[in-house]
Amino acid sequence: MPKILISDPTLRDGNHAVQHQLTLEQVAGYCAAADAAGVPIIEVGHGNGLAASSLQVGESSVTDREMLVTARKNLPHSKLGIHVMPGFATIPRDLAPAIDIGVDVIRVACHCSEADITQRHIGYVRERGRQVFGVLMMTHMLDKDRLAEEAQKMESYGAEAIMIMDSAGAFLPPDVSTRIDTLVRILHIPVGFHAHNNLGMAVANSIAALESGATILDGTARGFGAGAGNTQLELLVAVLHKMGYETGIDLYKILDAADLAEKNMIPVIPTIKSISIVSGMAGVFSGFAKHVQRISAQFKVDPRDVFFELGRRGIVAGQEDLIIEVANQLSTRRAAPVAEVV
Amino acid sequence: MTTKQLDDMQNDCALSVGEDVNRLFPLRNANLLVTGGTGFVGSWLAEMAAFLNDCHGFKINLCLLAPRASDFRSRAPHLASRRDIELIESDVRSLIEVPRETNWIIHAAGSPDNRFHFSHPVKTFETIVVGTHSLLNAASRLSALQKVLCLSSGLVYGPQRWEDVAVAEDAFTALDCNNFANLYAESKRAAETITTAYRSQYGVPVLNARLFAFIGPYQLLDRPWAINNFLRDALRGGPIRLQGSGETVRSYLYGSDLAFWLLSILVSGNIGGAYNVGSPMGISLKDLATKIADDAPRRPRIELNTLPSAKVSNTRWLPDVSLAQKQCSLEVRVPLDQAIRRTVNWHAERILQPQ
Amino acid sequence: MTRRKMVPVAILGSGNIGTDLLLKIQRSPWLECKLFVGRNLSSPGLAKASSLGVPISSNSIDGILQDASDCEIVFDATSARDHLRHWPLLQKAGKRVIDLTPAKVGKMCIPAVNLEECLAEQNVNMVTCGGQASVPLIHLIGKTQKDLEYVEIVSSISSRSAGPATRINIDEYIATTESAISLFSGAPRAKVILILNPASPCIDMQTTIFAKVPDPRIEPLALAMEKMVATIRSYVPGYEIILGPIVENGRLVVMVRVQGMGDYLPKYAGNLDIINCAAIAYAEACAMKSVDVASAQEVTRA
Repeated sequence: MPKILISDPTLRDGNHAVQHQLTLEQVAGYCAAADAAGVPIIEVGHGNGLAASSLQVGESSVTDREMLVTARKNLPHSKLGIHVMPGFATIPRDLAPAIDIGVDVIRVACHCSEADITQRHIGYVRERGRQVFGVLMMTHMLDKDRLAEEAQKMESYGAEAIMIMDSAGAFLPPDVSTRIDTLVRILHIPVGFHAHNNLGMAVANSIAALESGATILDGTARGFGAGAGNTQLELLVAVLHKMGYETGIDLYKILDAADLAEKNMIPVIPTIKSISIVSGMAGVFSGFAKHVQRISAQFKVDPRDVFFELGRRGIVAGQEDLIIEVANQLSTRRAAPVAEVV
Repeated sequence: MTTKQLDDMQNDCALSVGEDVNRLFPLRNANLLVTGGTGFVGSWLAEMAAFLNDCHGFKINLCLLAPRASDFRSRAPHLASRRDIELIESDVRSLIEVPRETNWIIHAAGSPDNRFHFSHPVKTFETIVVGTHSLLNAASRLSALQKVLCLSSGLVYGPQRWEDVAVAEDAFTALDCNNFANLYAESKRAAETITTAYRSQYGVPVLNARLFAFIGPYQLLDRPWAINNFLRDALRGGPIRLQGSGETVRSYLYGSDLAFWLLSILVSGNIGGAYNVGSPMGISLKDLATKIADDAPRRPRIELNTLPSAKVSNTRWLPDVSLAQKQCSLEVRVPLDQAIRRTVNWHAERILQPQ
Repeated sequence: MTRRKMVPVAILGSGNIGTDLLLKIQRSPWLECKLFVGRNLSSPGLAKASSLGVPISSNSIDGILQDASDCEIVFDATSARDHLRHWPLLQKAGKRVIDLTPAKVGKMCIPAVNLEECLAEQNVNMVTCGGQASVPLIHLIGKTQKDLEYVEIVSSISSRSAGPATRINIDEYIATTESAISLFSGAPRAKVILILNPASPCIDMQTTIFAKVPDPRIEPLALAMEKMVATIRSYVPGYEIILGPIVENGRLVVMVRVQGMGDYLPKYAGNLDIINCAAIAYAEACAMKSVDVASAQEVTRA
């Protein structure tokens, strides 16, 4: 049984669930606990990654620099990771200083069909001698062969592993298997998977990925994340141990870390509410959840209609502004004369 | 470049030529055109021509054709300023004419950088296929043309199976042309097909060389190949990170050997022939990384298996060069250890010297 | 009244941008393209120009310096690297240059905002697509709102409108656009986000402007924006505000959509078209000014 590398974005993806208001105390506390549990990579930052604090996706209460410095101080053994999206973060202004602070693993992410925008950022991380993964997001929107092409581009740019994200929580296990299968076959670098739980499939999808040859998995404490949340980390670790996989993580200590997260950091344990089900069915970025709810209420439209329309239009991560347009359109459509009887 | 660096280049060329300079006599007083003349291959051909002129009185007139001359002037000023080297700025795709007195052509235009192939596939295909077509068209009207050597790639054979020790010139497997990752290999195959067409229809005296992997000064460190990654990591102080256990096998021919081989094949190779060019001596990436680490200024650490992988992804890419060896009496003269040492020093010196 | 004479111009760069410019100039009553220059004779743009009877050259900058000596304005649609080479030569030759590359050595020109000031410059650049789409409205936010703290724009463009050059230069796009929106709004902090969307059919360019203002005053802003949009539409017909200005969640929001004219570039490439339209607007203003000056001189001479 190969070793499985666990990467823990509790302090990054989880930030979506609290509108990017995680405090430095919370960062310090969780880092210390996860480091003690032996979690190999701890990813920290705004929900959309480096330099994503914005009116578009939400402003964080602390700066990237403060979060990373705090995390670095509290991770004596584990690697510090960040999520970086070209289009939000730039090399000179954001990525270079982050590496200076001591980030070890940089995951350069893009929408699944746009890998060539990551060329320079991946190349820069390699030049700086840090570890770089290529990340493809919203991967339910591409078939396995096109996805493999995009992954190959990232491999050619110097990515050392490829993460496939089910950002909308839209996958069922066979969807994951076909994609991971193809990628593992075609790529020369390891493949990983990041699940969301909108359809209650996060752990099952992660195991399906494993069985197709993925060797890197993401999980967050208690599934901390937007909407229905992510793969529940401590649960995943337990399942992996039960299946005989090695993670290097101490079970009791990761359970403690999750308990700590629940106590100090997670105001509402993620559950799968109606809105999350719709979001998963519609194939919409799970980080949109709170925005859709707020804006739908403001424009007095059904958030479920908004999700399905966003999905129909093929809206990608980072396009939160379009929620306003869609809600507005739906509200004016509804306000129009109802029936014209002919 | 310092005097020592210039001497080193000349010594490299002398080592590669050995006692066999007379083999290249047909190049004396000749006009040699190199397309893609300012890249790695072009730069080494220029070094070799300069050596043959300076140390053996060859009086070769070298013409380097490339889309941008300014890069070459800054990278190799000692070559760009020579009176026996002329730079022509031209895009090979729209080439209509080449200098009328050209006797020998080496067509090296086209980037082997696979990042470029993935980000600019249309331009990659155009440069290689349309570029070869344009060049041969121009060559077909030259009165004094002796031979054209087109540089193809060892990738045209298709993937080498692990069980095959080395790949010879007849070892073709099929490439899936609908697979986007095969674009560069397919472009090179199409280019070879075009050489066949021009040879058959217009009698252009053309032959192909299939290039494998090389090492030496003038190779950009940011190229995404294993050896460049190792060099770059090593020069930065390391660690040198390897995926997997590093059992993948490659071989590397040094720049001056490459230049001598190409000129020899140009002169003595058969029209219509295809010759593998590269080192037949395989080395695992792990051993390569170790050698590089040994030569690097701060002896960096090597890390294997940095990330867990489900499959063993070792590959082998080695040329069988017995055809070039027998027909053109070629051999590897710069041993790999020396090649690595020269390359590491060259890059290290450049990092220390401000431009 | 003397008959209006067209100002001779040249286009350097025969790719899609240059060719689209050519077609716009063909329509212009003020500009006449005397030379269309590329560096590669097999470029489809040169073939197109030739088919329209426009003189062509594949001698790049030399073509302009030799054959287009009477051209007053040169549009440079090549690359940043090439522009840095071209500019000193064109400057010496006394040409007025419109830089459509990322080089940005000259003054930033947003016609709806600072056209007049730019007429005195010898080199202007058209900033970026996000800049052209948002700066006029951001400028109004700066003028009508008190204590503007921060301004942010998010542009979504269709994947097919973003070629390799755009994709490799996203960092530069962000830096340039941020400096433009800071400059023209006076906001102490600015942020620019770019999103590529692969949806089919291709989306038009869409830009959302957010501003942080303690006490937003919508009415004067909406009024000013209506007038501004009319001005912009005079040179970018496909420009419209699709939402706002409104206040949502404590932020001022305006959403703009730009559909291209579809001259040579596809209609969905509003991001590319808006830059070309702005360039033409500036060139026509220069032409009008020089023709007025010429007419005035003729009148005084008569």
